[in-house]
Amino acid sequence: MHRRVPRPTVVAVAAVIASIGFGGIAQAQFWPDRPITFAGGRVLLAGDASGTFGSDDPGWFTYTDYETDSLRRVRAGVTIEVRPSRRLAFLTEIRAETGAGVVPYAWYVRVSPLKNGWLDVQAGRIPPVFGTYARRSYPQDNPLIGDPLGYQYLTSARPDAVPANADQLLKMRGHGWLVKYPVGSAVAEPGVPVVAAGRWDTGVEVRVGTPRLEGAAAYTVGTLSYPLVRDDNHGKQLAGRIVWRPVPAFAIGASAAQGAFISHDVLTARSDIPDARYDERAVGLDGEASWGRWLLRGELVANSWKLPPLDQPRITDPLGAVNGYVEVKIRMGPRLYVAARGDQLRFSTIQGTAGAATWDANVARVEIGVGYTLRRGLLVKASMMNNWRDGGRIRQSRLAAAQALFWF
Amino acid sequence: MLPRSAPHRPPAPLAGGLFGVLLLAASAHGTAGAEGIIRGVVDLRRIQVTIEARAASAAMGIPSRRPAELRPAVVYLDTAPRGAFELEEAARATMDQRDQTFVPHVLAITVGTTVDFPNSDLVFHNVFSLSKTRSFDLGRYSRGHSKSVRFDSPGVVQVFCDIHSHMSAYILVFAHRYFAVTDAAGRYAIGRLPPGSYTVAVWHEGEVRETRVVTVPEGGGAVEAAFAIR
Repeated sequence: MHRRVPRPTVVAVAAVIASIGFGGIAQAQFWPDRPITFAGGRVLLAGDASGTFGSDDPGWFTYTDYETDSLRRVRAGVTIEVRPSRRLAFLTEIRAETGAGVVPYAWYVRVSPLKNGWLDVQAGRIPPVFGTYARRSYPQDNPLIGDPLGYQYLTSARPDAVPANADQLLKMRGHGWLVKYPVGSAVAEPGVPVVAAGRWDTGVEVRVGTPRLEGAAAYTVGTLSYPLVRDDNHGKQLAGRIVWRPVPAFAIGASAAQGAFISHDVLTARSDIPDARYDERAVGLDGEASWGRWLLRGELVANSWKLPPLDQPRITDPLGAVNGYVEVKIRMGPRLYVAARGDQLRFSTIQGTAGAATWDANVARVEIGVGYTLRRGLLVKASMMNNWRDGGRIRQSRLAAAQALFWF
Repeated sequence: MLPRSAPHRPPAPLAGGLFGVLLLAASAHGTAGAEGIIRGVVDLRRIQVTIEARAASAAMGIPSRRPAELRPAVVYLDTAPRGAFELEEAARATMDQRDQTFVPHVLAITVGTTVDFPNSDLVFHNVFSLSKTRSFDLGRYSRGHSKSVRFDSPGVVQVFCDIHSHMSAYILVFAHRYFAVTDAAGRYAIGRLPPGSYTVAVWHEGEVRETRVVTVPEGGGAVEAAFAIR
């Protein structure tokens, strides 16, 4: 399901950071602090690089796959936009990242038929419309170092392998970093987060709106937790989002998505799998309020995965997961800010042979941090987080991390 | 003369501090006589304003659109006449935030001027600067509100919005009054100059692009000096 990391990639990304980012300190006047344009503005080049180093995480709270700890990674990316006309643009983002190698993270064409820009159609590997965090997961858009649990924490759900009964699922509680089930792929792989912020889905997106009221809908081949480039189950996802900004200080959004989650290989692995829809469904609410030096954000996502009911004790109900977080950022001055996030990820209860339990272990996280801008486009952050989990080998983990970011 | 490849470095009369003022006062070459004017045209170039720095960072992944802009230059005397530093009473200027743009993009003021930053947009803005000349952070505020900053030291202040990364502007704070911001056609005029030789500098988008010695004759009058932004 996930690619293994070629170690030279890590070295290469580190070299990029060293040469572009920190090397720039010595020759500050030569490094860019804004996107570079060519051909009279028809070609735009932007980039970012970051390095994060944090304490060891033996509880796997901050991993984004089996080998990648989000607190120990380097990342570099370039965004290229080619705009042949005011109504047509081609965009791509290529990213090199620890654990992922070099990936064309986004590539899509944008058509804007209206002169006022109130209607856009995008096709390709497109920005997600659901929620807010997946579109602001760039390091400089995240005031802290960790991600919200719903967008990063690996649950024990997998699209390409499923448990045959509830006991097999319960055995994997708190074990999302490496999950193995008997139906489908026999390889142990990480589970999926509720919403995958690290990868984008492929399809078509239509966005319409004004600055006060905006809506978007997307038709893609993957799902929120498992975005894809190529369809693996002949099912599509429909996702939508609407945002209302009654006043500049406040925005509230609502999102929904439904799409086929279980891969075709699982559905054909056993002949007794009922012919039904095995979807991922999600609804989300988010809000943002700000005034003066304060920025307050919150988001609530309720998600469910429907698995095939196979052996006793059967998994009859969809596997539910609810994530909610509240985040605050306070600017203390032109260079300094402090931030904090409180975060919970809770799972629904299923019935096993030994009794009822949540199908995965509930998790909570509190993270506090500070950011300091060394110069335009160069930010350093430090944070501490406490994680709690009611299952798994390690139930509590206190982690610290520092991060340096450069972007233009 | 400053190296031309040094963006964002303050030009000499803007460098700030008592040292700069005394140095410039002593280096003045103006003499008594009819006043003159240095005027001309700066051949400006259009700058493409980049709205969407990263594909994912814009709301819904959709950027605003904006054509290339003709951004003004500032023409000033690198060496000013004696008495140039006897500034008049503190002034007031405005840098608006309109259509997610600072208006004007370049503001040239004298030391002691207070600049108002009204927000005329429907969205929030957060004006700030990390410049050594004057760092400040006005926080977030909405349409109809305004906050002010007084600039007491000469130098270049680059202004940004913390919410909209494509918004930027320059405030050039001078210790004397011999400067001019070019108009839409690139025209400028620096008047009330005593006869003498002056080093005229052209600043554009964070860099001193050209300096040239221009002489105002004893009889005063207008002296033409044209520049081109390369």
